[in-house]
Amino acid sequence: MLQSQDTFDAASKSEKPMAKDKIALEKVNFYYGDAHAIKDVSLSFPERQVSALIGPSGCGKSTLLRILNRIYMLYPKMRATGSIKLDGKNILDPSFSMNELRARVGMVFQKPVPFPMSIYDNIAYGIRHHERLNKADMDVRVEQALRQAALWDEVKDKLKGSGLGLSGGQQQRLCIARGVALRPEVLLLDEPTSALDPISTAKVEELVAQLKGEFTIVIVTHNMQQASRISDNTAFMYLGELIEYGPTTQIFQSPKIKRTEDYITGRYG
Amino acid sequence: MATYSGSLYRRRQLSSAIALTLCGIATVLGLVFLVWILWTTLIHGLSALSPTLLTEMTPPPGEDGGGLANAFMGSLLMVVLAVVIGTPIGVLAGTYLSEFARGKKLGEVIRFVNDILLSAPSIIIGLFVYELVVRPTARFSGFAGGIALAFIFLPVVVRTTDEMLRLVPDVMREAALSLGIPRWKVTVNVLYRAASTGILTGILLAIARISGETAPLLFTALNNQYWSLDMSQPMANIPVVIFQFAMSPYEQWQNLAWAGAFVMTAVVLILSVVSRSVLNRKGGK
Repeated sequence: MLQSQDTFDAASKSEKPMAKDKIALEKVNFYYGDAHAIKDVSLSFPERQVSALIGPSGCGKSTLLRILNRIYMLYPKMRATGSIKLDGKNILDPSFSMNELRARVGMVFQKPVPFPMSIYDNIAYGIRHHERLNKADMDVRVEQALRQAALWDEVKDKLKGSGLGLSGGQQQRLCIARGVALRPEVLLLDEPTSALDPISTAKVEELVAQLKGEFTIVIVTHNMQQASRISDNTAFMYLGELIEYGPTTQIFQSPKIKRTEDYITGRYG
Repeated sequence: MATYSGSLYRRRQLSSAIALTLCGIATVLGLVFLVWILWTTLIHGLSALSPTLLTEMTPPPGEDGGGLANAFMGSLLMVVLAVVIGTPIGVLAGTYLSEFARGKKLGEVIRFVNDILLSAPSIIIGLFVYELVVRPTARFSGFAGGIALAFIFLPVVVRTTDEMLRLVPDVMREAALSLGIPRWKVTVNVLYRAASTGILTGILLAIARISGETAPLLFTALNNQYWSLDMSQPMANIPVVIFQFAMSPYEQWQNLAWAGAFVMTAVVLILSVVSRSVLNRKGGK
């Protein structure tokens, strides 16, 4: 594990000076009715890197992720303030189109949720909404997405079969394929492996490492090892506040703040 | 360490035995009457079944032969009219409640009013449509009958659509919305598909419910002893014919009433069984 961390280190160090900020949050606050769930969070996620959000349950890390594609808008009485710039444009601005935002910022959830349709249509459904493709081009796109999600070999003979017939790990990779098929710029992963067995988890982690070349990835995880394995940057959150944010190696090896160290070493209290 | 108390334990066993016995008796009592009703309908209905049931019209009193062809056709037409009116309105209203009225006061009010309509006595709906359609047009008609049935059909469909859509987990909505697909399209393409068996079951159960309604038809479609496909005219229908024939002193009419009751029961039973098996087949996950 140390070794792999070192290679990640080398890679991220060489990239870091070049990486520009894909998403920049400034003084973001979020409210569920009267509850103040996110407090004055400012940070930025560099382009084509993996950034992990960690922290105890209820610290606001999933909430923060759900602001980034404004999926919270589905529910009444929720609001966000501050500014979140995606390539310099504020997505909290009411004039920013939700559908454009979500086409550019994809999301994969904790629980795999295939749509009640065939494996092929699970992938093609989103593409069809945004692009007009003929059958042959669509076939290529679907295959590409399934290959990117390392699922092609397992499903190529049953593309017409229901997406609900796959195993949990396969369903989650199907959901990732569905997300990358739209060629978003950012991929949000909300505890994508917490419902998966170790083998499927390893596959998804490998996948994240591969996808990093193309997408900016923000991942919420409860699994500290996972954060240290796959991320370039780590943000530690506690009670809705951002406690510490920096390169993953620094956060895990020499955290500057005592509370971060306590959490990471398991002496959490 | 708890000390074992024999008397406490025996008392619980006794109360458990009494409760179980009472539950058993209640179940048997309910089932006895159900089986009795079905058995009576079956015996009388089967012996009254004849090949002319579906080909001949309701006969005049005292005459042999005859069938219920006009009544079956009338019932069918009016139920179809009710389904055609009620399904789109019911599904759309249910969709509004589940998808677009969340946390809104208006949604709560509509849901409450719908529940009242759901349990409204059907004779009141008959009177209402009598005032609404029969009086202004100055005639009983198949249209009025179909509209009355639609009023009974509608709240059932609103309720089941609302409930079935709300059973679809929110994360499914989030997943579809996070692909940048607009809300209405997500509802039509993903949510309806996920809830389709439930919604269909609701429609089938609502059909079963209205096909036996008598009171609202007495005030609206009335009856017609001739073959008629004209829905602007009074229309024969099974429940009213059963009501009229069963109360009559003529044996042939009584037999036809039994036959009609038997066929109607069988149709409703089959509809219920089919809708339940559809629900179990796909909804069991």
